[in-house]
Amino acid sequence: MLMAATAASSVRLSTPGAVSTKAQLPRPQRPHARLLPLLGGQRRAVLAASAPSTPPDISDKVSESIKKAEEACSGDAVSGECAAAWDEVEELSAAASHARDKLKANSDPLENYCKDNPESDECRTYDN
Amino acid sequence: MATCAVYTTPSLHSCFITSPAKTSLGFHQRQVIFFTSRRLTKRGGGSTPAVSCSAEAKTVVIGLAADSGCGKSTFMRRLTSVFGGAAEPPKGGNPDSNTLISDTTTVICLDDYHSLDRTGRKEKGVTALDPRANDFDLMYEQVKALKDGVAVDKPIYNHVTGLLDPPELIRPPKILVIEGLHPMFDPRVRELLDFSIYLDISNEVKFAWKIQRDMAERGHSLESIKASIEARKPDFDAYIDPQKQHADAVIEVLPTQLIPGDNEGKVLRVRLIMKEGLKHFSPVYLFDEGSTISWIPCGRKLTCSYPGIKFAYAPDTYYNNEVSVLEMDGQFDRLDELIYVESHLSDLSTKFYGEVTQQMLKHSDFPGSNNGTGLFQTIVGLKIRDLYEQIGAERAAAVAEAAKV
Repeated sequence: MLMAATAASSVRLSTPGAVSTKAQLPRPQRPHARLLPLLGGQRRAVLAASAPSTPPDISDKVSESIKKAEEACSGDAVSGECAAAWDEVEELSAAASHARDKLKANSDPLENYCKDNPESDECRTYDN
Repeated sequence: MATCAVYTTPSLHSCFITSPAKTSLGFHQRQVIFFTSRRLTKRGGGSTPAVSCSAEAKTVVIGLAADSGCGKSTFMRRLTSVFGGAAEPPKGGNPDSNTLISDTTTVICLDDYHSLDRTGRKEKGVTALDPRANDFDLMYEQVKALKDGVAVDKPIYNHVTGLLDPPELIRPPKILVIEGLHPMFDPRVRELLDFSIYLDISNEVKFAWKIQRDMAERGHSLESIKASIEARKPDFDAYIDPQKQHADAVIEVLPTQLIPGDNEGKVLRVRLIMKEGLKHFSPVYLFDEGSTISWIPCGRKLTCSYPGIKFAYAPDTYYNNEVSVLEMDGQFDRLDELIYVESHLSDLSTKFYGEVTQQMLKHSDFPGSNNGTGLFQTIVGLKIRDLYEQIGAERAAAVAEAAKV
């Protein structure tokens, strides 16, 4: 059973059946690709480059929140609504950054898998 | 075999029996039984003790305060690394959990105690920095329970959706770190902290760091980054910044003074402000404890590249508290610089020569590993390990003493 990364955190699902059948052991011929099921309960998987760019759903939320903050502050730049709107931008920007860090940390699917399954054949290491 | 802890609560002893009962989350949950001393005696007097008690189990609680985007996560990674073993999100739980768990340490994010979710804050026009957006009663209850060895069902604030997710079970660890915007805001929570740290990032550096973090993000621009910092600043000044007066250690991050007029935020001047007179914490010092020292390690023995490295150490006062301040301006370019500096610092609470350098090298990919932020975060991590060991040793001694009587 191999990793199913959520866009936000790249945590593997270890429950049998919970992982899409498309998820397989990492194939060496595609080292730069990873499966990223979108957030929000969708089962659809997208292919994303393993260079850590922000998962698209968070990225959309960030840019949308900036637009909304600019609108919220156009009337009154010191209102609570304006501060709350920019606070949301900060929160989402931080979430985006954390998501990138997690993708970077988990960018090797085999390493990732072996963290949870050190005893499996793929993960054993031998001295001589 | 059941395990349990008895604490010195005057009228009430609390003990725990580990039971195989499964919770909905699939963890083994500790069942808590409260009984009076009279009944404890009765139970304890039985031939087959169902409960064994040890006073060593009490959780040490550490508070880490800083604004969003100011290096709390990096600090946590350094801290948990000093304790050994990787800190990971809870296995099999919510993938958006903010918690990190290692063998010794559990780190919880105080955003999980938001009482208003994103929509709620928007409707009321309050930021997450505002105390009205946070449930300090629940925060206090749960941190207190964990400190007393009782597992809690802690809410999860989902930073992506902005909603409060179903709670996760947190079991009492050896060391509990509470990190976030308000660990020292509520006096009751503050009282539970065995040690507290505040990361104080100057406005110039905060701006530079957020540019680094956000500029590549679609929709962001210099203007949006600046606007976000400015819009949050009144609440930050009102509710977050004042907490630093309560901190046992403050790490201040400022622009360098080695390059005149530099505001880039690449070279940093970092100050470690350490409270004096704490029972389990002795401040690190340079050469001579309590003296005022200015030190440029670069010279005949050590060559440094531009703009060099400068250290300072001096006694001072900080919010009416007596403190020692250790300062580093500049950055390490080579390994021998770091070793040379480490060998001239005292009271580092290392277990072997070169441990600071080893920790810094181990995480050379973390931000700040070549400057004072990484150095001082590592040192504070070592001091917290020392504090934890001192508290543990004291409790063990107290138990041994009690057993004699």
